Amino acid sequence: MEAGRVKGTVTPLSSLFPAQDARKAASRVQAAISENQRKLEQLQGFITDNDNMIKLVQKLPEELHHEVMVPFGKAAFFPGRLIHTNEFLVLLGEGYYAERTSKQTVEILKRRGKALDSQVDSLKATMDNLKAEASFFDATASEAEEGLVEIKEEYVEENFCEQELTSEVNKQDVTRVSGVDEAKIAEIDAEYARMMARFDELEKEEELAAANGNKSDDEDEEEKETPNQSLEKFYDDKQSYSEGSTSAWLRDENVSSKELLDKYQKQQEASTNPSNCSGLSVQSSPKEDVTSGNSSLTQSQRVRNPNPAAKSVKFAEVKEKTQTLPPSTSQAFTGSIIERPPIIPKTSKQETETPLQPSGSQPSKPVSRFKMQRR
Amino acid sequence: MSSTSALRDLQRELEAKANDLSKLQKDIAKNHQVRKKYTVQLGENELVLKELDLLQDDTNVYKLIGPVLVKQDLAEANANVRKRIEYISAELKRLDSALQDLEEKQNSNRDAILKLQQRIQSLQAGKVKA
Repeated sequence: MEAGRVKGTVTPLSSLFPAQDARKAASRVQAAISENQRKLEQLQGFITDNDNMIKLVQKLPEELHHEVMVPFGKAAFFPGRLIHTNEFLVLLGEGYYAERTSKQTVEILKRRGKALDSQVDSLKATMDNLKAEASFFDATASEAEEGLVEIKEEYVEENFCEQELTSEVNKQDVTRVSGVDEAKIAEIDAEYARMMARFDELEKEEELAAANGNKSDDEDEEEKETPNQSLEKFYDDKQSYSEGSTSAWLRDENVSSKELLDKYQKQQEASTNPSNCSGLSVQSSPKEDVTSGNSSLTQSQRVRNPNPAAKSVKFAEVKEKTQTLPPSTSQAFTGSIIERPPIIPKTSKQETETPLQPSGSQPSKPVSRFKMQRR
Repeated sequence: MSSTSALRDLQRELEAKANDLSKLQKDIAKNHQVRKKYTVQLGENELVLKELDLLQDDTNVYKLIGPVLVKQDLAEANANVRKRIEYISAELKRLDSALQDLEEKQNSNRDAILKLQQRIQSLQAGKVKA
């Protein structure tokens, strides 16, 4: 960036690409082009043959019989009469012949013509590529001969911009692409810490719930949480774990993974639409800061619903920890999980409890939709 | 005296390696040819299968065996073509792995040759100086 310093390098193009080499490459590409041209001509010959054949086959059954000269050996012919003009023995390839009528034969021939056309198309595409390559080599050769130089200079600012741009794109991707990609994007370490915090909270929650005897509330949540969780489990497992870890769950649900995948994709599509934003789309949006961008999300919902980022931590991690923790947590995991992002201090328990009540009725809608999709 | 004999040994080795390399290259070229043939056959068979699928069940199907056409069951012909496609795909897979093997060998051979050439050059340089 400093002025006065040499910022770039100047290299004559001829030292990078010697003119001779470029010419050689160009001639090689030209040879390839002519080869392709030959193939193309051959194919076009086939196509005209095929067209003529179609015409002939269509014309033959118009008469009951035709007077023809039958070839006899290489040089001799004798007059003959063509009868059964609507019976053809068509070579299908590989020595297989089938008896067909004129109409059916024409159909076969037309299909063959289509195959030929597609071959011609692909050949033409490769020809275009080769031609572009050849012209590039030619241009390089002539430029090298003219003594053109290449000036290279680091453009720092551009790099900076690019980085910003890519990060922006990433963010957008994060909002749009959900579920499958999200765990990749999320940082595992942060996730782990969040998981720990969550489990701590869960334990406290459990104790509190037990003390209050607040059973009905728990059951409400259970209904809401289980479908969400099963989905979470599904796609977490799907991306990072072998069939073995998922199979138990899949069998439970008695749904094939393919079906689930389809369903999930549908759901993903639904969740990418911000207007659909509901409890379901929350869980598929990967990061907390991203979800906050969705204006239709209420704070209470976010508190209520499991923090999606934390959720996307690999399931095995969860399993592992449930094993190490006392049995009360495993119970919590199956149903009555109340999760919230770790930023919310644990001391604010009562505060977070209150907004739970109004939103308690809300999740019924997303759940029902999910169930509908899963069926 | 010893350096000259060593040099001769190296050159002999180099020659042997060069021979091996050219053999390998020939094998690779052959592999490519065979593969091309099989690919063409696979395409043809797939075309045949498509056409056979489109035929009615009562259509007469013949197979050209030598100079004569032998009548065949449509189902039988279908099964035969399917089997043939299977075989060809398996063969193609085999050829692919063989090709990979050959290319690996070729690369290692090339490296060995390069090393040998370098050693010969250094030896010759030493002799010139001496």
